[in-house]
Amino acid sequence: MKMGKFGKEFTKGLIISNPVFVLALGLCPTLAVTTTLDNALGMTLAVVIVLLGANIIVAAIRNFIPTITRIPIFIVIIASLVTMVDLQFQAYVPDLHASLGIFLPLVVVNCIILARAEAFASKNPILHSIADALGMTVGFMIALLMISAIRQTLGTGNLSVFGFHFFTLPVLGEQPIALLILPPGAFLVIGLIMAIFRRTGVMKSE
Amino acid sequence: MSAKNTLKKFYPVIVLTAVVAISVGLLSLTDNLTREKIEWQKEQKIQRLLFDLFPDMSRYDLENEIYIIYSTEDKVSYAFVAVGKGYGGEINILVGLEDENTLKGISIISQVETPGLGNRITESYFTDQFAGLSADEVARRRDGGQVDTITGATMSSSAVIKAVRAAAMEKIKLIKDREQGK
Repeated sequence: MKMGKFGKEFTKGLIISNPVFVLALGLCPTLAVTTTLDNALGMTLAVVIVLLGANIIVAAIRNFIPTITRIPIFIVIIASLVTMVDLQFQAYVPDLHASLGIFLPLVVVNCIILARAEAFASKNPILHSIADALGMTVGFMIALLMISAIRQTLGTGNLSVFGFHFFTLPVLGEQPIALLILPPGAFLVIGLIMAIFRRTGVMKSE
Repeated sequence: MSAKNTLKKFYPVIVLTAVVAISVGLLSLTDNLTREKIEWQKEQKIQRLLFDLFPDMSRYDLENEIYIIYSTEDKVSYAFVAVGKGYGGEINILVGLEDENTLKGISIISQVETPGLGNRITESYFTDQFAGLSADEVARRRDGGQVDTITGATMSSSAVIKAVRAAAMEKIKLIKDREQGK
């Protein structure tokens, strides 16, 4: 049941092991970028590129990696990958780089990448590591979109994505709760979402 | 100690060194392959931004870090790059001059400010404030100037204001000297 395993590794990242809400990984970039839906999607794109690359490389050489120096090896691989992607983007898709530029360096400090290399890709074959990377990315995206939709709606009074405007709230449109766009707002929203999920039993604490 | 044991002892070091060596090789290869292209892209971007500021530009020269813009009507205008120290790193700002005393406008060439907060300095409601100001009026409103900072992005907006002001003061002097020298 190869595909069954593939599917399982993919879906676990969505809810059961959601990187943000359950594993509490990658909170630093999550707090920083969840102010608008655009940013959430930009970050997701940067993460999928690097996470996929890192998981594949680590899974491919997992049998050669000595245990005691594994962490520096992972870090070197991830940092090099990020820098190479960053340079390629600058050279060939400057417009995308201009809007995504800041997210790529942020990916280096995204512990989701290191954690998946350590906890999964270093012990599993390439195919499963691909599934893990994709599942984690989708889970990350779900979390980012939820948080940023709430922060953008209440913090700016509008909801729009890439210039496409969904709605403007009647009162908040003029007097938005600016606190939610600022860093403390991110903590409040993430904390509340986690609490609601635990309370309603959608997610169980480890 | 046998040779096999020695190898085993140094194995982690050898692998780490190999990984680093391969990474360094790939990184310098990527840098080599992309450097020219990146420089070219930057030049293209400046050209595009200059064109946005001076729609009637026919060609431009770069002389002592000042862009000299020749318009179709043989009018000469000037623009230059101001570099500010923002919250996240360098902010490069293109500043265009209307005449020797007033600014025509600014645009942000590159910045690495926090998404959603500091990076709002690129939005037009902030940058548009600079049009028509004299170098002296480029200051935060609370310092007696004409520019409003962005809520939640005081550091980034102040960095832009400071950089534009300093660069404008310096370059306008150079431009006046150049005009007189002719």
